[in-house]
Amino acid sequence: MHPSPLANPLTTVAQLETTGSQLDGIPADLEDSVRFAGARLTQATGTLLRLPQEVIAQAIVIFMRFWVGPEGGSLADFGADQVSAASLYLTTKLSAYTKSPRSIINVYAYLNSLPAAFVDAEQLQQQKADKHYVSEGTYQTRKTTLFDTEQSILRILGFQLHVAVPYTLCITYLQTLDIFTQLPRPRVSELAKRTIAYLNTALLSPQLLYLTHQPPNLATAAIYLAAKEVAVKLPDVEWWEVFDTDREELGFLVVGLLSVESFAAQEKKRWADKKVPMTVGEIETEVASRRSAERED
Amino acid sequence: MASRWATDEVDQAEEARRKQEKEEKKRLKLAKQQAQQVQDQAPPVQESESRPPKRRRLSPSAEEPDNTNVVPKEKEKDTTSSERKLLRFSAGSWGPSRLSSNFETLNAIEEGSYGWVSRARDISTGEIVALKKVKMDKPAHTADGFPITALREISILQRCASHPNIVTLREVLMDSSSSANSPSSVVLVMEFLEHDLKTLQEDMPDPFLPSEIKTLLRQLGGAVAFLHDNHILHRDLKTSNILLNNRGALKLADFGMSRSMPPPTSSSPSTTTTPPTPLTQLVVTLWYRAPELLLGTPTYTPAIDLWSLGCIFGELLSNTAILPGKNEVDQLSLILAFCGLPSEKTYPAFYRLPNARTLNLPRDSGAKSAPDATLRLVRARYPAALTAAGAELLASLLSLHPEARPSAHDLLQHRYFAEAPKPKPPELFPTFPSKAGQEKRRRRASPHAPRRGDVAPALKAGEVDFSGLFAGREDEEVGGGFSLKMG
Repeated sequence: MHPSPLANPLTTVAQLETTGSQLDGIPADLEDSVRFAGARLTQATGTLLRLPQEVIAQAIVIFMRFWVGPEGGSLADFGADQVSAASLYLTTKLSAYTKSPRSIINVYAYLNSLPAAFVDAEQLQQQKADKHYVSEGTYQTRKTTLFDTEQSILRILGFQLHVAVPYTLCITYLQTLDIFTQLPRPRVSELAKRTIAYLNTALLSPQLLYLTHQPPNLATAAIYLAAKEVAVKLPDVEWWEVFDTDREELGFLVVGLLSVESFAAQEKKRWADKKVPMTVGEIETEVASRRSAERED
Repeated sequence: MASRWATDEVDQAEEARRKQEKEEKKRLKLAKQQAQQVQDQAPPVQESESRPPKRRRLSPSAEEPDNTNVVPKEKEKDTTSSERKLLRFSAGSWGPSRLSSNFETLNAIEEGSYGWVSRARDISTGEIVALKKVKMDKPAHTADGFPITALREISILQRCASHPNIVTLREVLMDSSSSANSPSSVVLVMEFLEHDLKTLQEDMPDPFLPSEIKTLLRQLGGAVAFLHDNHILHRDLKTSNILLNNRGALKLADFGMSRSMPPPTSSSPSTTTTPPTPLTQLVVTLWYRAPELLLGTPTYTPAIDLWSLGCIFGELLSNTAILPGKNEVDQLSLILAFCGLPSEKTYPAFYRLPNARTLNLPRDSGAKSAPDATLRLVRARYPAALTAAGAELLASLLSLHPEARPSAHDLLQHRYFAEAPKPKPPELFPTFPSKAGQEKRRRRASPHAPRRGDVAPALKAGEVDFSGLFAGREDEEVGGGFSLKMG
């Protein structure tokens, strides 16, 4: 156990085989949907709380770690929205950007009041967030749930909260590749933005890329894709090996990152104007309705 | 090796074409360069010396003039890529916390600043460990959830796992609560060390030998340097938090007060300006608390840990705490009696610290406040135990001005460690009977670490008068003219 800015604890093979939710009879595709929605919820909350992206990313990684493996949390026991809130609370607490339980609860209440799972980012800013305070009683109950879930996260992760995110790393790598000095300024920022966008994409991947690959590999793959997209020429050699990524890993990550787009489109189509079930109760209803639909077929 | 992502024929043809273009360009460039070289000789030579070696290594085929034959080149590439060593990073995995019933408690050791420590045995492996039960006081639990101090301690201990002079955290146990309201209990499992420095010193008739002190101080300095390198402030350095095993290894423990340094704010003008994070003033056990903390500075630096280090150094020399204040005011008067008052020139900010304004401090002319005043006092106090270099180190650690204190790295480089007697190798350390064993310890009264959340008591104006502090200074004896070196 030597936490470093270049290394994250990764899942074991056994943990990737199954999850607590699947053992409880929740279909894998539903779990993917809920995890995706939960990660997006964490991202939206973090954005509204004006947290730096590094902190939000750490919260999402912790959220994802929670569900992994047979000993991980199950959607039959924990609401994904609760786990999202508690991982964000836990991460901010350890960061330099502490947020009070009240602000977190308020923002989740606000986001929960939105009609559907997929809302445009601009729409989030337009609505009046200060209209969605919860009552004092509700606040007390939710705060207790928040703290209970916080402890469950700590227990299930065995206090392994170390998350190294590759945001600064990818900038260092771009500097190492000597790209910034060769390009005009607008192109530089375009390239850096795309790279960071790919790192954000990796957070939402159903393949749990942050749980299976180390930060240097993620940064390298993000740079590779961004450079392709922005049409910036990278060295004509196996430059990724300088960043300790072999061709195999790079290829896997490139495919993984590119597939998120179609996954997201599919999710958007699937849930369209509906809400993704998040709470234990909603999941139960969803699973039950699926079962009855199967029986009718 | 055959890769799933290996280039197929289309790619190869494309690559060959691109290579050819590149070669063509390169040749043109080379010709151009050679032409230039004729005109101007010096700079191109330099350039050709500085760049190509790296290029050549990365792409062995680039220099070959013949590039029609693609297949052997690909093979060559494959063999070189398998030779290249890529770094593999690993930070383990995670699994749920075990229950505390996996351990059998043997005896209580002591109650720390925020938890109970006991000696225990891992039932499955039989290993002896130290268990530290985190105090989960209810009010804190209802306000902020899981105690932030415990979270910080765990994450800092995890970050410091690699350092030999910092106590190793093995795992964290958690028993889920039976009722919904009561917080679950959390236990840190750490390696067990036989002694802590405080109890050990209480039982030692004589202080450590100078060579032993050097070894201890060097290990301690190494641990503190590592923390500061990793932007961590310990904030509670004292002898009872310094553990020692029977093989002479010193390990720093109890990170219940420590925290990460807030990121520097002034250096980045582009980002939105945030005020510097105010840090809590009520840190560090009173006897080891730096003067700027007592005077209520809202922003402090790693230098507060070095003040504590100075206090510990002094304590190692004499076996007694050097600045045992009874309360904040008494502590400050002891410090000022030791260090003198700073002049407006040497430490102008001193008189503008929040609590300094309320005190009736005699404005010093500067005669007694020179740094060598402390040095003289240090020499007078430890005439036998300390060489000139040692006295200078101690005096610099106990400088009033935080910036005058050496950094932890400076400390390690100090000539005090280089001169005779040399630091004693840890293996040659004497062993002592372990008190952390069975019996309940005798406790000598020493103030506890300040409790989190308490308000730092303001030093009230008029309560004390410091003006008489240096009244009899002139009549005092100045330290001995020479000091005896002892091995």
